[in-house]
Amino acid sequence: MNTKYLIAAVAVIVLIASVAFIYVYSQGQPSGEELEALQNLVDDTGYKTSLTAYPEKIVSVAPSCTEIVFAIGAGDKVVGVTDYCNYPYNFKTWIAEGNMTSVGNFKDPNMEVITALEPDLILASGGVQEESVDTLRERGYKVLVLDPTSIAGILKNIELVGNATGKRAEATAVVNDITNRIETVENTVANATKPKVYYEVYYYETASWTIGALAWQTEVIEKAGGTNIFEDQQIDYYQYQVEALIYRNPDVIVLPGEGMGSGKAESLDAVKVRPGWDTTNAVQNDRLYQINSDIIERSGSRLAEAIEQMAEFLHPELF
Amino acid sequence: MSTDEVESTFFRRTSRWKLIVLLLVLALIITVIVSLNVGYAQIPFPDILGILGKQIGLIDPSLISSQNEAIIVQIRLPRILAGVLVGAALAAAGVLYQGVFKNPMADSYVLGVSAGAAVGASFSILSGIGFVFLGLRLVQVAAFVGAISAMFLVYNISRVGSRVPITTLLLCGIAVNFFLFAVVGLLEVIAGDELHAIVFWLVGGFSNVLWRDIWAVLPFVIIGIVAAYFYVRDLNLLAMGEETAHHLGVNVERAKQVLLVLASLLTAAAVSICGLVGFVGLMIPHLTRLVIGPDHRILLPTSTIIGAIFLVICDDLARVVATPFASTLELPVGIITMLFGAPFFIFLFKKKKQSYAA
Repeated sequence: MNTKYLIAAVAVIVLIASVAFIYVYSQGQPSGEELEALQNLVDDTGYKTSLTAYPEKIVSVAPSCTEIVFAIGAGDKVVGVTDYCNYPYNFKTWIAEGNMTSVGNFKDPNMEVITALEPDLILASGGVQEESVDTLRERGYKVLVLDPTSIAGILKNIELVGNATGKRAEATAVVNDITNRIETVENTVANATKPKVYYEVYYYETASWTIGALAWQTEVIEKAGGTNIFEDQQIDYYQYQVEALIYRNPDVIVLPGEGMGSGKAESLDAVKVRPGWDTTNAVQNDRLYQINSDIIERSGSRLAEAIEQMAEFLHPELF
Repeated sequence: MSTDEVESTFFRRTSRWKLIVLLLVLALIITVIVSLNVGYAQIPFPDILGILGKQIGLIDPSLISSQNEAIIVQIRLPRILAGVLVGAALAAAGVLYQGVFKNPMADSYVLGVSAGAAVGASFSILSGIGFVFLGLRLVQVAAFVGAISAMFLVYNISRVGSRVPITTLLLCGIAVNFFLFAVVGLLEVIAGDELHAIVFWLVGGFSNVLWRDIWAVLPFVIIGIVAAYFYVRDLNLLAMGEETAHHLGVNVERAKQVLLVLASLLTAAAVSICGLVGFVGLMIPHLTRLVIGPDHRILLPTSTIIGAIFLVICDDLARVVATPFASTLELPVGIITMLFGAPFFIFLFKKKKQSYAA
């Protein structure tokens, strides 16, 4: 009798333990639709990455990727970031305290460090990183390239990183929040007249760069209730003729301010005395603004902030 | 040949030279006037004349927008004049370098002058200090100082006693050149955000030249070219070999020293306002030699003017060639000089290489 009870008790315990174990184990692991998404991660290069389990060790080799992965709550899986990553945390301090590993600079991430970290997912951006991405893929690493050319592309990438890390709901929440904030701005500026905006990427002694129609920042200006004076140029980032800027006469000038972006922050007084610039409406009406280049140059999760900030510049009376 | 014949050949030659220089000056003036019409903004030629007339107080045209006036006076005119000055300075420097080294490959890179300027400019860009020094930007002063320091460094390393043999000068120059460009490479690696600024400086351009820059380099360019002209006979004699030149009364070491300082001064002044613009210093003297001949008395003035014309046209092309892709697009002028200059040179060289080999 006693033995029977004992066997039954053991059997029940084993059963409960097994179920519990399987439940705990399967918790957080993909199934059904989630698994299918995980096996078909198509990034901005058109490359299909296939994962079988959610990554435990993520390396981000671009500040925009770091911002996205932390925004959707997968930051605890990140084991390596670049020296340029400074948001949402001060990673320099983390690295100094040994809580994060630096994979070096943005252009040439350190391959040895990446190898040592044994990442099961690497997040990268396009442009100068293409070569590093090719190398990493040849070495068998799973790499997602986030290189969006539009606002929709940025939102799609947030969802993509959500799919890759098992944070689908969180990613959707982030996307919805951004979409709602953009809509609020659009509604606020809907009936205001659209100022002509010059957006500066960089200005040096020997060259000046701005954005054309194919840069997503042109969309930021539009959503914020303005038009890019170079919106007819079918190109993204390019060296322009300064006389074209003066000829087209912008109402507002937006310059790189603080931040790690490409352009250096110059005093507004220095900008006003650039040759010929004094004839523009923007300088004559003193409508020059500086924007944090980290917010507007990184195609990351601070997109709504960029648009809100831009709208305040273009329509100060409405905010 | 009788004395009369020698004399008449001499006069025929000098009058031919005068004609050539006159025609080239005319060509330069036409190039400058045509270039005033080149650019994104379509400004009618009468308006351009009106704007220029207003500047010198001749007339006061009423219907011209302040934007158009700014474009002509503050943007196009300074960049065209910068093209003239830089083109002239680099081409003249090229003639001097090639004459002193008796080497067709000699240019401002050989003495490490360009590399020195690049190191100076890169350091100043990295320092993040854009301050203005006697009306100049730090990057310009630093490039100028870097170029001159590199030249003195090479010159002193190569000195053997009181002489500076060409071979040691060339070898030291090449070594220093590589070293300095390695320093630039190193600075580029650690540059981070400032990398763009260094890269654009190394390609060169006239995009944002100021009147102030023109006034700053003008005296150097004029003094450099005029002073060099006093040495054209020495350059002709040096072409026969240093020994021969010495026996014909040339103070060889002194001449070399002065000519190298002048060439480096011209290069330093040029690159300080527009960054490294390649090809002009190397190829314009060759091109001129192919067309006009090797006599430095005519080679120096003609190279100088042709260099000016060439660079102004290249800067026009920089504003024009890319516009079919996007109407406001501009290319770095340093790329144009090589992209269009090299095939043109090869074309000329193919036609005239027989005379060159002789």
